[in-house]
Amino acid sequence: MTEAGHTAVYDPQVRNEGPVGDNGNPVVLVDIEDLTYTYEGQPTPVLNGVSLKIREGEFVLILGPSGCGKSTFLTVLNGTIPHTLKGTLKGTATVCAKSVPQTKVSVFAREVGMVFQDPEAQIINTRVRDEVCFGLENLCRPPHEILARQSEALAFVGLPDAGDSSIFDMSGGQKQRVSIAAVLAARPRLLVLDEPTANLDPAGMAEVFAVLHRLNRDHGTTIVMVEHRVDELADLVSRVVMMDHGAVVFDGPPRVAFSRPRVAHSEEAQIIRSSAWFPQASEFAVDLAAAADISLNPADLPLNVAEGIQFAERFIQVLGRRPATTTIPVVPPHEASATRPLLSIRNLSFAYERQSPILSDVSLELETGGIVALLGQNGSGKTTLAKCLIGINPVPRQTVWLNGKDIAELSSRELSVEVGYVFQNPDHQFVTDQVDEEVAYGLRIRGFADDAVAKSVNEVLEIVDLARYRHRSPFSLSLGERRRLSVATMMVLEPHLLVLDEPTIGQDYERAQHLMGLMARLRDRYGTTVVMITHDMRLVAEWADRAIALSAGSIAFDGRPADLFAQSRLLGESSLMPPPIFDISTALAARHPGRVVGSRLSVPDLVQSIIG
Amino acid sequence: MARATVFRFQSGNSVFHRLDPLTKFAWMLSISFLAFGAYIAWIQIVITLVVLTTAVGFAGISFRELLRGTWVFLVACLSFFVIQTFTLPGTHEIFSLLGRPIYAESADYALASALRIYTIILGSLVFVRATDPRELAIALVTQMHVPYRIAYAFFIALRIIPTIEEEIKIIRSAQAVRGVDRQKGLAGRMRETKRYAMPLLVGALRRASTMVMSMESRGFGAYPERTFVEAPRMTTGARIFCGVMVCCVVGWYTALATGLVHSFYVFAPA
Repeated sequence: MTEAGHTAVYDPQVRNEGPVGDNGNPVVLVDIEDLTYTYEGQPTPVLNGVSLKIREGEFVLILGPSGCGKSTFLTVLNGTIPHTLKGTLKGTATVCAKSVPQTKVSVFAREVGMVFQDPEAQIINTRVRDEVCFGLENLCRPPHEILARQSEALAFVGLPDAGDSSIFDMSGGQKQRVSIAAVLAARPRLLVLDEPTANLDPAGMAEVFAVLHRLNRDHGTTIVMVEHRVDELADLVSRVVMMDHGAVVFDGPPRVAFSRPRVAHSEEAQIIRSSAWFPQASEFAVDLAAAADISLNPADLPLNVAEGIQFAERFIQVLGRRPATTTIPVVPPHEASATRPLLSIRNLSFAYERQSPILSDVSLELETGGIVALLGQNGSGKTTLAKCLIGINPVPRQTVWLNGKDIAELSSRELSVEVGYVFQNPDHQFVTDQVDEEVAYGLRIRGFADDAVAKSVNEVLEIVDLARYRHRSPFSLSLGERRRLSVATMMVLEPHLLVLDEPTIGQDYERAQHLMGLMARLRDRYGTTVVMITHDMRLVAEWADRAIALSAGSIAFDGRPADLFAQSRLLGESSLMPPPIFDISTALAARHPGRVVGSRLSVPDLVQSIIG
Repeated sequence: MARATVFRFQSGNSVFHRLDPLTKFAWMLSISFLAFGAYIAWIQIVITLVVLTTAVGFAGISFRELLRGTWVFLVACLSFFVIQTFTLPGTHEIFSLLGRPIYAESADYALASALRIYTIILGSLVFVRATDPRELAIALVTQMHVPYRIAYAFFIALRIIPTIEEEIKIIRSAQAVRGVDRQKGLAGRMRETKRYAMPLLVGALRRASTMVMSMESRGFGAYPERTFVEAPRMTTGARIFCGVMVCCVVGWYTALATGLVHSFYVFAPA
């Protein structure tokens, strides 16, 4: 185990012993020594003196803020760097006993499998069977062997009968499982995954994690994975590597990794708390121990809900039978206007193809102010509904009213005055060549005077912390910055309703928190109603005033997030999962009603309830 | 989930789907050659009817889908027909409209020209809709001995067209939300294209980069040859069908060269 160190000789507790070397230890599969890599044309290295040894059978989770070099590191493991992506590589890198600089990517294809974030971009073929056979066909294996292995691989990922299916007809989770099957067919010794669940709903994410867990436990496949969603993963991995500024700053078992708060640096060089991407059960334990001024033994650190409950039970016993002084906090619903609703939807049905309706008889009202989470599994109609609110999907007359006006009768420009929409990919919305012009654009086409435009642009750029980049091209910013810029272009217009489509995809937890802080500021300052489409339940628990769950195009739930999380059947049907802290607090409240009163949505709330 | 584009392969079990990709490719090329060389309306009408029959009767594409996929071209062809009918010179006046004489020869030529464009588009739609681009690529490698890297480049180009089409729709929607109106006129369209180009290019590069890494990491290009688990084969019937089509094309151009087809008109007198 190393802290901020460079020589990472780690003896893992491998649950399924892989091949052993001469000394009886598992074979070292990845041996990286003082690796530095600079992309062509970039002034500074993205990997900076990385040293790491990974043994056969390990399941390694790599964590770190966006831009810290995680994904770049993964591409070294199969030779994409330096053979496909050009740049300057220094140091030594040996994978599966082959020197990376001297071995072609196609040679690594037999032993290293790569799975990327976006299944749409990595799937080449249109039929599932063809996709799974693709790699083995390239390696010139005989047809009977290829067909046998593709059947095995599809069966392993739980899609035994999907060979003839079209890729276009599959859900996001299924596509990602096909991607995994496509690399498993070659029976790699090392599986490398770069945020494979970023685009998936909680059910899709669970499917993928379950496959990886079985692969590592039952077959001893070595897995190296970058992932931000750690709550469901922390107890499956054998080792955590944390990176910051291109270097390894921690390398050790998960319980040690998450046992104390750490700091890292964002792409913009700001200091951020890395504990923001800790499992919530661990974060709860660390905060509880700190609040009680008790030192925490890493061996006792919980990684999942069950362990979190056990940990709290022991803690409560130590604290004795002193009754809690707190009562269940009554969370005041955000002040909503008592007058007519901002948005009113009545019996809205919508279909792209007449024979396959997407929305069915949806009715709801949104008041002025508040953050509303729009939830549901992939394909449940969330984005379709959101697009109905801004005129991208034309709605029938007399079904959607905004401020009392039928939106079917409003032009797109009239609608854009009242409703803002931040797309998943911020690049799609940029229309100028300069950051400040981008923010000014909406004001200019609405005829604002130059001085008023300049004043508003300056103010908004300060709020989103982009003032220093005002003369740069929007496309030259980092992803987090581009996302903030797209929000700024909407903020400056002070819309009554702002819709965010999956605002946290591809962003680390700290960035997501910052973005939601901006949304709360909009709500409080301008009375904006913010509707966010998301799969991130921690975000919903922490920030949403109201949750609306869609299931098969109909509203399955509309109410407070806490009430939604209490309905386990509904959550299961909608492929949703409550945040760990909710489950921990619910279990504790049932067992210790005198100390924990009711379910809680945040770590500080539960800690305070226990400590009193 | 947005509405699927019509210009995309849709698996099926129709007669046309079951044909091997090279036969379908030959059919499309023959139709295009025949349509390209036909400047007399009745021939174009026959070719269009053949394509429509193939689409509806043999490829299982409904009239509704055909209309959805080609309505823009249909409108353009209609406009083309009207403009040419009004402006081309002729000798036999059928009637006059808005004070202008409408000639039989003009109408005949205009109809042939408009149908020519539409037929080629329609033929392409039937081909794209019923042919798995991967199977076509494999057929090119195994039957035409095209290097597999080139065949796969062709396949990926076909595979990515619907994705780009989808991306353009999203960018248009995203920019409409910003208050960007659709532009009119040539200069406006150029400004609009410039606005779409950058996000489209950035997205396409990112996607292409992932695709290249995904292919290479699975051994693509490792060897000069590769295995094909399922390679389509051309049956004897399909070979005969291709031969008939080649004869049709050769016969048609021979007839054109020898002046045999100048004797029948739809509008104009013989």
